[in-house]
Amino acid sequence: MSRTTTEATPVPAAPAAGVVPPGRAGRGGPARRAASPRRATPAMRRLHRTEHRWAAAFVAAPVLGFLVFTLYPLGYALYASLTQWNGLTAPRFIGLDNYTRLLSDPYFRQTLGNTAFYLIGIPIGLVLALLLAIALNRKIPGQTAFRTIYYVPVISSLAAIAIVWQFAYNGDFGLVNQVLAWVGIEGPNWLQNTATVKPAIIILAVWKGLGYSMLLYLAAIQSVPRSLYEAASLDGANGYQRFRSITLPMVRPVTFFLVVTNIIAGSQIFTEINIMTPTGGPEFSSASIVYYIVRQAFRYQQMGYATAMSVVLGLIVFVVTLIQFRLNRRNSFSID
Amino acid sequence: MTTTRTRAAALAIAGALALTACGSGGGGEGGDGDALTFMFRGGADEKAAYQAAIDKFTEDTGVEVEMTVTDADQYATKLQAAVSGNKVPDVFYIEQANLQSYVASGVLMDITDQVEESGVDLDNLWEYGVDSYRFDGTLQGTPEGRLYGLPKDVGPFAFGYNKTMLEANGIPLPDPDVPYTLEEFRQVAQQLTQDTDGDGALDQWGTGLNVQWNLQSLVWSNGADFTNEDRTEVTVDTPEFAEALQYFADLTLVDGVTPSASEAATLDTYQRWMAGEIGFFPVGPWDVSVYNELDFDYDLIPWPAGSTGESATWIGSLGIGVSGTSKNPDAAVQLATYLSTDPTAQQTLVDAEIQVPNLIDMAEEWAGAADAKPANRQEFLDIVQDYGRAMPAAFTYGAQWYDELWVNIQPVLDGQQTAADYLAEVQPKMQALLDESNTNAEMAGGGA
Repeated sequence: MSRTTTEATPVPAAPAAGVVPPGRAGRGGPARRAASPRRATPAMRRLHRTEHRWAAAFVAAPVLGFLVFTLYPLGYALYASLTQWNGLTAPRFIGLDNYTRLLSDPYFRQTLGNTAFYLIGIPIGLVLALLLAIALNRKIPGQTAFRTIYYVPVISSLAAIAIVWQFAYNGDFGLVNQVLAWVGIEGPNWLQNTATVKPAIIILAVWKGLGYSMLLYLAAIQSVPRSLYEAASLDGANGYQRFRSITLPMVRPVTFFLVVTNIIAGSQIFTEINIMTPTGGPEFSSASIVYYIVRQAFRYQQMGYATAMSVVLGLIVFVVTLIQFRLNRRNSFSID
Repeated sequence: MTTTRTRAAALAIAGALALTACGSGGGGEGGDGDALTFMFRGGADEKAAYQAAIDKFTEDTGVEVEMTVTDADQYATKLQAAVSGNKVPDVFYIEQANLQSYVASGVLMDITDQVEESGVDLDNLWEYGVDSYRFDGTLQGTPEGRLYGLPKDVGPFAFGYNKTMLEANGIPLPDPDVPYTLEEFRQVAQQLTQDTDGDGALDQWGTGLNVQWNLQSLVWSNGADFTNEDRTEVTVDTPEFAEALQYFADLTLVDGVTPSASEAATLDTYQRWMAGEIGFFPVGPWDVSVYNELDFDYDLIPWPAGSTGESATWIGSLGIGVSGTSKNPDAAVQLATYLSTDPTAQQTLVDAEIQVPNLIDMAEEWAGAADAKPANRQEFLDIVQDYGRAMPAAFTYGAQWYDELWVNIQPVLDGQQTAADYLAEVQPKMQALLDESNTNAEMAGGGA
């Protein structure tokens, strides 16, 4: 009985708490229970203040970093793209001249086209990676060894790899043509031929990225609930149907992630091209857009013009990524 | 827990601030204290030779030198980055083609007076080498200009032949003073091109030249040039120029005296020359240490000459410049002068077989040495003193106009386009780029 009373007491008191002006709130009873920051003790207030300050500092660190290392350079790049600038003397404002020059620069178009061509390697790489992941998901002897072998290129230095592949592609004594000779094919001089230089670089890029995509696919496949496959089997679905209707949709988020990151990285392909074809390949046929930007900036000291090209490249990548996110949202689903 | 985090956050912020400070601050700091910074490029041999020379400099003067060495193809980028970051080394290599822009922006110091006061006898240095780093505000390479650097070296690009191969094939050795005519050269090259082991595939060729490094010689000796004398007009569309380029391409296409065209763009002919499969090949001073170890004898001759009957070739050069913002300019000039002109330093570098001596008297002694290898070292000196020229783009403001020539030249070498057609097509593009570079040069000069 008495317990009910005590418990009931606050209830009628509660509205009263609202009536009492905050500053005059008593120390006991209901007020303590409804403790709000404004009614905190001086010690608590101090604590809150320091915590706030630290919270602000924590927030400030990345924000400061963003301002100094991202926003400022970005803003400066936008400005620099409107100037004629050799990187040594002060930039001279020339308005949109760099951008109009871009439009009529055949090498800009050519290198942009080459870069788009390199993106062909992305679907090829993803298909291969998925097939490999499925193969390596089975219980086969030496499974770990295979997984490791496919991952080795990922952790190797790209510069070192490019040099090794450059030897492999050598027209006279390269490994690739030697192997082709065994089956009676006379291989081309890969890196000196306008028709083969881009495919040659795509093969290298696919090989290099295979292990990473494979690993992500492997993880995605292993996290598909077994029950789905069991249910499908009971319904009489064969292996292909299970793959088509369960595995593929379930690894979709990984595919999306890989497509987006690969396109962003692939449109900036540079190192392997710069090492394997230092002059941009025969008739500039291997030169990527970033290769051309670097050449303009550092070989010809055309910093302003190079920056304008970078801005355009950045915009293209941004728009393409945006479209991908839109498409993905439209096609996404949930299994809950 | 909290303290660790607080500290971590404080550190992160402090770090970010410190980084910003580095980025925006600075302004010509060149290492700590009195030490000079010296940035250069080269391979292992070169680095060792320079280390030895600089150790001696420190011993003599008490000035410490911090060296930064990069690969040849990274040097320009690294230097540009150092300049942008206001961290210009006190002393550094400078390419002929970059001199004007570096002068205009104040990166390079005018060292005319200091060098004069130091008592160095500039007349004992190769004129071409010194003049390369003179600039009068309009033209570079003129003897009246102010001095913005000293030659690190001069690189006469000579022509060589595999003596062992010629002797084995019963071909009379070429005269070291009279150049082959183009027709004679073609015939000798044809005689050398053979299938020596009878397996049905050629394994010995007359020559195998790279168009980017060897066309100049043919063009010049044929009476043509890349620009007019003022460097305002691109003149690659003349009949003489086309004839030279066609001759070059036909060595492969018609005469078949070189490995196939696409291979000329790789290192393959260089490797084949070293393997003794190629009769005639260019030789630069920087090649000598490697070529002297080869299994065959070789020697130098003048370049085959076109219609003018006179050999021609190019001389490369790299300069040593001093930063306009050096805190210790006197010592920096002293170091540059030492590396370029000190007899002991030169001897160290020459002994490493990486260059021709910069000092004329020393070079003459070097060329006349009884045990000289190659025997006709004198050819190097003849090029520097007599028939060598600067690279076409050495004295223009940037080399983009010149590089344009090579970008799409492959169809000519593959026989899909005639030299004349190609040159007529590329001339306007090169002209536009040269105009642009001249405009840039004027603006840079005016703005400084």
